[in-house]
Amino acid sequence: MNRELHATDDSTGGGAAFVPPVTDSSVVTLTIPCTAEYVGTARLTILGVASRMGFSYDQVEDIRLAVGEACTNAIARAEASPNTMPATITIRSHVEPTQLIVEIEDTVATPSSSTDLDKSISEEMNSAELGALLMEILVDEVTLQTSASGTHVKLIKYAGARASAVV
Amino acid sequence: MESAASMNLKVTPIPVQGGIVALDLEGEVDVYTAPLLRQEIMNQVEKGTKYILVHLEKVEYLDSTGLGILIGGVKRLKEQGGALKLVGPSPRISRIFDITGLNRIFDVYATQTEALASVG
Repeated sequence: MNRELHATDDSTGGGAAFVPPVTDSSVVTLTIPCTAEYVGTARLTILGVASRMGFSYDQVEDIRLAVGEACTNAIARAEASPNTMPATITIRSHVEPTQLIVEIEDTVATPSSSTDLDKSISEEMNSAELGALLMEILVDEVTLQTSASGTHVKLIKYAGARASAVV
Repeated sequence: MESAASMNLKVTPIPVQGGIVALDLEGEVDVYTAPLLRQEIMNQVEKGTKYILVHLEKVEYLDSTGLGILIGGVKRLKEQGGALKLVGPSPRISRIFDITGLNRIFDVYATQTEALASVG
């Protein structure tokens, strides 16, 4: 059975001593403006989702950071993009018994010319590279698809017997 | 008036001794709040500060944006003949340094006393 939950569903009631096992699939969806001030909101939502799945503290933090990095990457591209239309980021979390799949999809148009993305400031280049590296290391699977209308990142973190944490 | 960004990150410069300033960070360093840190590092460089000790004891979250700014700070201070040093990161933050290999780039100390002892 699939259940759709929206991020406005306030079912967080503080820390629970018992985490019941996930027995079916649920989807939690959040859409935020592609601007820096809302990345914290995305992190809070994924924190709530991952915390209910029995992940360890380190695993939850890994997921939170990886999702944050995907959002940050979208925001950096939006700021560099000549597109004047406001972009959005949709974070779709698929809660499954043995894994958490998080899809981060943005609507940042990809410039046709690569020179538009010229980042001569080494700090930004370092950040982008570090962000990609962190995503690769912190979750079990990462896939990325880019199109003219946006980028789709898929992060998978295994739970239960398949679970691993970065050591 | 405190800005929205400063509500999630507080950056307090604290003079230590001649040419050395400690930056006390409290909160989360991400794409939204990191400009505060960048600005304060730049302020210190412009003032002629040679050594900056960035205190991370109260930093709960640090992402690639923050890491990039710290890397930039290391470079700028080195160009000035000084250094940027990190003090007291939590195990979680230290882990990020380790998995990214930045533990080889950053000078990290458990306490300010140790950091000051390393200043040439």
